[in-house]
Amino acid sequence: MVNGLNLLFQFLDSFAFIVLAAAGLAIIFGIMGVINLAHGEFIMVGAYATTLANIEYGLPLPAAMLAGVLVTALFGLVVERVIISGWLPNTIGQLTLGRNVIEPLYDRLADSMVATWGLSLVMVQGVRILYGNSLDQIGTPLGNIAYSGFTYSTYRVSLAGVALAVLLVTFLVFRYTEYGMRARATIQDEDTARAMGVDTERTYMTTFAIGSGLAGLTGALYAPTITMVPGLGSSFLVEAFVAVVVGGPSVVLGTTLAGGLLGTINAVFSNVYGTFVGRIALLVTAIVMIRFLPEGITGFVERVRERRQEGV
Amino acid sequence: MSGPLSSRRGFMAATTTLAGTALAGCLNSSSSSNTIKLGILEDRSGNFSLVGSPKHKASLLAIEEINNNGGINGKEIEVFDPDPQSDNTRYQDLTRRAIKQERVDALWAGYSSATREAIRPIIDREDQLYFYTTQYEGGVCDKNVFAVGPTARQQLGSVLPYLVEEYGSDIYTIAADYNFGQLSADWVKVLANENDANVIGEEFIPLSNSQFGSTINRIQEADPDFVMSMLVGANHTSFYEQKASAGLDVPIGTSTAMAQGYEHRRLDPPAMANIYAGVNYMEEIPTKRNTKEGGFVDRYFNKFPDAPYLNEEAENNYFSIYMYKKAVEQAGTTEQEAVKEALESGITYEAPEAPEGESIKLDGATHHVDHHMWVMRADEEHNVEAVEDRVIPETFLSETVGCDLTSEDEETQYTPQDFYEEAG
Amino acid sequence: MAAASEDSALDRVLARFEGPNTVGNSYRFWALFLAGTLALASGPILFGPYWAFQSSLFLVYAFLALSLSVVWGYTGVLSFGQVVFFGIAGYTFGVVSVNFGTPLGITGGVLTGVLAGALAAGVLGYFMFYGGVRNVYVTIITLVSTLVLHTFMAQTAGDKWTIGEAALGGFNGMPTIPNLALGVEGAALTFGDVTFYYFVLGLLVATYLGLRALVNSDYGRVMVAVREDEDRTRMFGYDVRRVKLAVFTLGGALAGVAGVLNATLNNYMSPGVFELTFASLPVIWVSVGGRKSLLGAVVATLAIEFLRFSLTGELAFIIVGVLLLVFILGLPGGLVPWADERLVPWLERTVGSGGASTPATTTEESD
Repeated sequence: MVNGLNLLFQFLDSFAFIVLAAAGLAIIFGIMGVINLAHGEFIMVGAYATTLANIEYGLPLPAAMLAGVLVTALFGLVVERVIISGWLPNTIGQLTLGRNVIEPLYDRLADSMVATWGLSLVMVQGVRILYGNSLDQIGTPLGNIAYSGFTYSTYRVSLAGVALAVLLVTFLVFRYTEYGMRARATIQDEDTARAMGVDTERTYMTTFAIGSGLAGLTGALYAPTITMVPGLGSSFLVEAFVAVVVGGPSVVLGTTLAGGLLGTINAVFSNVYGTFVGRIALLVTAIVMIRFLPEGITGFVERVRERRQEGV
Repeated sequence: MSGPLSSRRGFMAATTTLAGTALAGCLNSSSSSNTIKLGILEDRSGNFSLVGSPKHKASLLAIEEINNNGGINGKEIEVFDPDPQSDNTRYQDLTRRAIKQERVDALWAGYSSATREAIRPIIDREDQLYFYTTQYEGGVCDKNVFAVGPTARQQLGSVLPYLVEEYGSDIYTIAADYNFGQLSADWVKVLANENDANVIGEEFIPLSNSQFGSTINRIQEADPDFVMSMLVGANHTSFYEQKASAGLDVPIGTSTAMAQGYEHRRLDPPAMANIYAGVNYMEEIPTKRNTKEGGFVDRYFNKFPDAPYLNEEAENNYFSIYMYKKAVEQAGTTEQEAVKEALESGITYEAPEAPEGESIKLDGATHHVDHHMWVMRADEEHNVEAVEDRVIPETFLSETVGCDLTSEDEETQYTPQDFYEEAG
Repeated sequence: MAAASEDSALDRVLARFEGPNTVGNSYRFWALFLAGTLALASGPILFGPYWAFQSSLFLVYAFLALSLSVVWGYTGVLSFGQVVFFGIAGYTFGVVSVNFGTPLGITGGVLTGVLAGALAAGVLGYFMFYGGVRNVYVTIITLVSTLVLHTFMAQTAGDKWTIGEAALGGFNGMPTIPNLALGVEGAALTFGDVTFYYFVLGLLVATYLGLRALVNSDYGRVMVAVREDEDRTRMFGYDVRRVKLAVFTLGGALAGVAGVLNATLNNYMSPGVFELTFASLPVIWVSVGGRKSLLGAVVATLAIEFLRFSLTGELAFIIVGVLLLVFILGLPGGLVPWADERLVPWLERTVGSGGASTPATTTEESD
């Protein structure tokens, strides 16, 4: 039975999950051309840092979440310097052997997938060795909304608001900050951007840190609601990938539209037929979307716009 | 009187050769003359490490205790225990190695039913004595397999009747969407029938799913008297937290939660409030053997002070190793067919799950255990206490299907479908 | 350089298998290749049947690696979905051979299994390539297909998911898949641990040589042209979509062979083959070995799997992960091309040059 409010809340829940899962990945993929298969593990770092900050060190939840974001962003910075850009190995190489040792992973899709997959193995097992098979979990705050015999967790519904806020902030950063301008220039044409004096390397570094921070935010936000095991990242990975691909090249708009479309499909099918059908529907929609709009929703929109301009 | 044996020298030569061959045969046999080798393949990394580690630890505890008490028939126990890493291909490889290279006298392996099924062809081909110690859907009737964990029928059969009496007869089932969950849901229907209750709704949830918003709404819509939950795995554990934050407080009966993955320790109260687990063992069961000073819990944490919990399967590993010891002592040998026969004669053991003065019995015909089942309830602060307990024998294989491994060798797995066919 | 007139029969045969698209174009290479094959063949004799059994699994995986190498390294299609065809073929073989347990039935199972793998690849390939899907989006579709199959197969437990006598088994998998038997009742070829190993080894060598010949032929040049620049190749008049579809289907057949052999080796098939961890293994093997090298795919598979299976203990995953990072960052082209381009010349320079190249190659290089 389709109860309107039920469906609305389930949609908001789904929308939030998809957008927050995809945010960090979309930025890194869109700007750097790097596919981070360890994205789920970055989310895990944020969740673990938040939980540890709250339970072990007694920080109140908002502060713990902030700690989670910062820790993940810092970790992302280190990963970027060591693995993605190769700056650290190359600096060492220059000092010892007099030459660069590795190439950066930018725009090397397949190689970045393999490298980040290796990274994810190390991260999951490393966390398992350091912190055991599970962590105690933080409780979900904020109680629930009750309406005519049903209830929904207030916290989970409010995550939709957080997701929108994330999208908005990202949009503003891209539009109005210097970093945003450099990033957009780099997306459009890296060589020209560099020729015009944009420090693309610093842009990439900042981008990866921001993307990691966003992944950490997702982990921090969902820490109270999911089980804290080292492999928790994998439950976000599918939605993240699918949303990034369906969304297309425009980071903010694409993620929003993908979240909207996929969230609706997932919510409707789950509501009417159950979670199994909901999941299959999500995956099949992704395949169909990629097949008919291979460059994502925003890619399609851009091409339509181009064609219309040419027609004029 | 001609021929090689006619001369004395020939006779002596023949005898020496015979003796030499016999001796060589001894040296090539599975265990050397003064050790017994046991294979313990339990996950310590990968998806099942949370529930596999306690199994491994408890096995080592049992073996250490036995060795400190003179071993089995004076022989010390040696362990072959590599980590299969929750990977079924690796399980197959290690099982082969255990049987063919290490020549283990008995094998304990695997957490999930998938693992058991992956290695059962190898076990059956080599006729290896194998103990499967995890709670599972039930129905395995195999001459080489001793499935000593509680079956779904035993577990659900302990908690469902209690909940029907306490709360009412409308049941809503949520289960993991794979063999164990689906078969357990079938058993819920069978038991509901036997207890004048109705299953008013069912939902099956893919193992990879960790978001339960719509599930919770559907439960609220159905408004059952209680829910039966056979959710499995880390992703599904999120259900309890999410239901608590949504304010859903319907009582829940389960065979899978708390006893294996100690959710009541990991999740913030009151996520597990009003959850009733039907299990043969949990760290909190109030038997003397378990809780007294120097009891099972004490000994476990003495040996493993950093272990987070002593779970259901750990006790299954523990008592089955002791049962093996008894069987070997009864048979007087480690030769596997003889030990299987000894096990089939009806071994009992004073396991931690049984109260003082009682023991549990391995049913020879079905290779399953008549467990002492407990209904354990968690309250708002996640304190766990026993509300009911009794012995529940294994009835599906013995009474319904008619599996008798003492008289007939079989290697099958029966399902509730067979129950319906047999029961009409 | 008048070598052309001195071409021996051997050189003419070898010329089929040599070219710019594969590593190793010299007598020395073939001598090493022969030595390597003989070394693998001597394994069971030296180490016994258990070793043969375990190594058979690695050889079967090599087929899976070759399927990805052909599709990715030579046509530029990075597919995470080779395991989809691997799994479909394995399950098909399981269903047919459990229902028809005779040697003829099992042989039929082998054929239908491989066919099923190829067909699945054909369907997916048509859907993707004729729909204009390119680059990373192809990869994502193959990845999502793997996930769909996993979610679907994991819930096929229960009696209604039975085809004849064969229960699909859901998450628990399908056990009791029979051993390999080829032929008809009474005149069937059956295999023990050691003979199965030799069978797979022989098949692998034959397949490798066949692929080598394909890749060095005119068609192979078209494949590489598609990999390097699709648009330009299309402008030259080649039907790029058809090439990609054909090669993708071939990849599906190869993955299918691996799937069938795997199912019969382990007597078991489960949805675990559709999990992300297993789906990424072929990508790892081919990346480390050298995606543009068939030999690299095989060598890397054997080495990595042998290493993975030998490592037990906590640090196993960490070691594999670090190794992967080091290889992909340090040797991005892969192990075998690196060995060919850097290691061998370095050895030559330090140790002194060895045998001569085959005349055919020398003629080519002097262009």
